[in-house]
Amino acid sequence: MTRSARTRLTTLTLYAVFAAIVVAFVLVADWPAIKSNFFLTEGFTGNWRDMVFVGVKNTILYTIVAFVGGFVLAVVLVLMKLAPIAPFRWLATAYIEFFRGLPALVVILFMALGVPIAFGWRPPGGTVGAGLLALMLVAGAYMAETLRAGIEAVPKGQTEAARSLGINAPWTMASIVMPQALRIVIPPLTNELVILLKDTSLLFVVGLAANQKELTTLARDFMASGPSAGTATSLMFAALLYLAITLPLTRLVAWMESKQKRSR
Amino acid sequence: MKTRPLFAAAATAGLIFSLAACGSEEDPDAGNGDAAPAADAADLDLVTEGTLTVCSDVPYVPFEDFDDTAPSGFSGFDIDIVSAVADGLGVDLVVKDSAFDGLQSGLSLNAGECDMAASAMTITEDRAQNLAFSDGYYDSLQSLLVPTDSDIASIGDLSGKRVAVQQGTTGESYATENATDAELVSFPSDAEMFQAILAGQVDAILQDLPANVPHTADEAFTIVEEYDTEETYGLAMKKGNDALVDAVNEQLAELRDSGDYDELYAKYFSEDAADSDDAESTS
Repeated sequence: MTRSARTRLTTLTLYAVFAAIVVAFVLVADWPAIKSNFFLTEGFTGNWRDMVFVGVKNTILYTIVAFVGGFVLAVVLVLMKLAPIAPFRWLATAYIEFFRGLPALVVILFMALGVPIAFGWRPPGGTVGAGLLALMLVAGAYMAETLRAGIEAVPKGQTEAARSLGINAPWTMASIVMPQALRIVIPPLTNELVILLKDTSLLFVVGLAANQKELTTLARDFMASGPSAGTATSLMFAALLYLAITLPLTRLVAWMESKQKRSR
Repeated sequence: MKTRPLFAAAATAGLIFSLAACGSEEDPDAGNGDAAPAADAADLDLVTEGTLTVCSDVPYVPFEDFDDTAPSGFSGFDIDIVSAVADGLGVDLVVKDSAFDGLQSGLSLNAGECDMAASAMTITEDRAQNLAFSDGYYDSLQSLLVPTDSDIASIGDLSGKRVAVQQGTTGESYATENATDAELVSFPSDAEMFQAILAGQVDAILQDLPANVPHTADEAFTIVEEYDTEETYGLAMKKGNDALVDAVNEQLAELRDSGDYDELYAKYFSEDAADSDDAESTS
């Protein structure tokens, strides 16, 4: 047997094994049980309307608010972390370590329920406002580190050249280093955005009114009542809706990146 | 190296497949109606032979709570009931702490995670479509809890107020129908609702009476109204496992006949049960 023939045989065998596994999978699965537990679609129309027009809307809104707030916070943090004055650096480092080390759920609970009890102060916007503030605090810590990596990846010569041209330090950072850093960190920032999108599902824990519910909360509601009660149909639908948001988003970023690479 | 990714894919698929195969043990034919009463535990189609595995969303005082001193690690009215049932069936009891979503939707039971859900679960038509319920073992009332200094005196005063309800419960349905002007805020469990009323994020809690009663212990909160919704709690089992349902009903009837039920009831729901609970926990 020649080498290429052997390679082809190996490839074919592997394809056959793969196909056999898929077929076996399909045969072994209990399809009626799967259908009645996960795809009980009769009468689901009223629910999907709520899930799309309330759930998806709020999920996207919460994600944007938390991301923008977190990003602004991250810029402040990273500037502090790179500042020449030591206490600023300590403060930023302490903040980042603290909020990166806590689960988002704990921070959300603490903001919405702990802070009012401890300090008698309620974050604006009720429980949702408090929850979003918590997500911002957490996202800010992660994004600050991402931004720092980006800034440090910009060649030092850029700063040196700018300074030797007589551009002052803040303006060098704002107009020369930052734009390049941002371009470098687009993939990890997209990551953070997707993580935040999913983390909005944690807001259920602090209590949501009907018009404030996000996708996961509504899915859980419809597991309990309505035509699909008693099945995970609404969870499956929510999963599809999450993918419908994240997949185009990540594809879009990937496309932007490749376009940018070509243009350089 | 064209084959590398293929190897990886095949290996992954193989792994998933073997896992799936483990999970799909064929059920021995369940529910032959004339199962020998109670004695023959082998006919009950239990997920682990000789053991009654019970899922419960803990804590939900006084129905279920954590308790290091108890053999199962849990205590409460539900736990005592199911442990008496397990004793009667001649099997061991294992209690698993699980999320209420999975219990009331029947997913935990269908997935073979447990034989029974005992979690202060009201018998409803919706749920009965996907679960097999035992006979009722506890009649529940709904109730409205407010801070003692609140000016809310009845469900009629809730207009424009933020009222906490537990997601997916009969309390939520009752509030939806009867407190139409209130802003209903849904929470995953009693624990978060109580924190939220402490934090001033909500003005009232509408839920099952027994869950609200412990919150009145230190007199910062008070129950202003009770609602009779003719609700009954049931033990939930997998649909089709009639042998187990029959056996459990038999045990429940026996508990009532022997007077053990009344003893348990008095232990948790007598007039000063809330106070004596406190005394126990501080001792």
